[in-house]
Amino acid sequence: MIAAARAFPTLLRIAVAEMVAYRAEMVIWILTATLPLVMLALWNAASAGGPLDGFGQADFARYFAVTLLVRQLTGVWVLWELNQQIRTGALSPQLLRPMNPLWWQFAETIAAIPWRLLVLGPVLAGVALWRPEIVFVPTLAAAAGFAVSLVLALLVAWFVQCLFGILAFWFDQSLGLFQVWFFVWALLSGYVVPLPLLPTSVAAVATYLPFHASLGAPVEVLLGFAPVGPTLAIQAAWVAVLGAATYLTWNAGLRRYGAVGA
Amino acid sequence: MRSGLILALVRVALMTALQYRASFLLEFFVGVGTTASVVLPLVFVFDHTASVAGWSLHASLLVAAFFLVLQAMVGGLVEPNLGALVEGVRSGQLDYLLLKPPDAQFVASFQRVAPARLWDLLGGAIVGAYALSALPTPTAAGVVTAALLLFAGLAAVYGLWVLVICTSFWFVRVDNLRYLLGAVVDAGRWPVSIYTGWVRIFLTMVVPVALVTSYPALALLGRLDTGLAVQAVVVAVGMLVVSRVAWVQALRQYTSASS
Repeated sequence: MIAAARAFPTLLRIAVAEMVAYRAEMVIWILTATLPLVMLALWNAASAGGPLDGFGQADFARYFAVTLLVRQLTGVWVLWELNQQIRTGALSPQLLRPMNPLWWQFAETIAAIPWRLLVLGPVLAGVALWRPEIVFVPTLAAAAGFAVSLVLALLVAWFVQCLFGILAFWFDQSLGLFQVWFFVWALLSGYVVPLPLLPTSVAAVATYLPFHASLGAPVEVLLGFAPVGPTLAIQAAWVAVLGAATYLTWNAGLRRYGAVGA
Repeated sequence: MRSGLILALVRVALMTALQYRASFLLEFFVGVGTTASVVLPLVFVFDHTASVAGWSLHASLLVAAFFLVLQAMVGGLVEPNLGALVEGVRSGQLDYLLLKPPDAQFVASFQRVAPARLWDLLGGAIVGAYALSALPTPTAAGVVTAALLLFAGLAAVYGLWVLVICTSFWFVRVDNLRYLLGAVVDAGRWPVSIYTGWVRIFLTMVVPVALVTSYPALALLGRLDTGLAVQAVVVAVGMLVVSRVAWVQALRQYTSASS
């Protein structure tokens, strides 16, 4: 752990260099996650006649702009990397290094964030040009809560993908399973419907689930319609549970791992 | 002769795909999830309002049904074939295809199928049937126009994909563009009239997904005027012609992998 912490700045530098090498692909991958804008178009038309449950057109625009931002900043693709490495045996040389390969994966995730912001900038500027009233200055408390919530959301998203990736040690359909997870996630995380607009009973349950902890929580903290303390507590609990599960299943998976060609 | 060739190609493609049948159950759940992810947001929206840009819930579900059909076609036929084509350009495997007597674009378009996407087709059929059960029965002319527009729209989308893929003959790495195209197609899941300004024009003329999803639905509802129908056919024919020209140009450019 200490060795990994000492190596992390170097890992980060290599990861940034790698992003620069594949910049065109990066831009395209980032731009494919635009579903919040498609959802915004629908809710925008739906609320043209007046606010829906307190959500007016400007509220929807602001909500989905922030959702798009959070979605990008918590974007992770470790599942696909792990899945490919475990199936092909490319994981083997990485295991020879004196630290857990997941650290390198994490460095890659962090290194992508500046790129994501760079690509997203013009998109968000376009939304703001279309509806200038969405621009707002959050209170200091909301901004601080948002920063913590965002980090927790990234960790939840990261550990969830690690768990699905680790499944590949036992089972070669983990990508399909994650697709099913994604559909549930999209509906209950706030990605396509703001949680307050879901049926009340569904929303009450969804607040406690990991889907919301990995996306909706920071959005709602920033926009000020979720209580900061409880929201952060739920997120932290999920980080602890999923982190422990990742640690345990990774070790169990490694014991099972039979590298291709070994 | 052509239809016999299509059948033979699809049969071989199906046999290839069915070698990997272990994931059948999982693919069923993915299919259910795809349908749910298109339908449920509409249900949630119409929970709060009765009409969106002049569309009722059931009329919007009709658009969603056509969107699922589009997804099935793109994901089950267009995307696997053109993905294989890009790989063929990169590896030089395309040589073997060019040596065959039938037209290369024709063979390249029917070599692979992804049978899992049939679940989307089934989902679309169920959603469409449910939507129609709550709407006034369409006229015979409406059904014929809808079928024609669906066919024209699918042809236009196919042409667009060919156009994008052709760029891979020059720049091998841009095949990622087709994922971007997939993201734009996502916008076709709602009635096109919810979009405003240039976005609407973009979705009918440039990436003409509205031709596949909204226009056939309008035809079934009896709300499509002849001008729009003619425009749809013109866009489809134009797209096919342009893509054919691009394909011929691209082949002229092709130098195989090792030369």
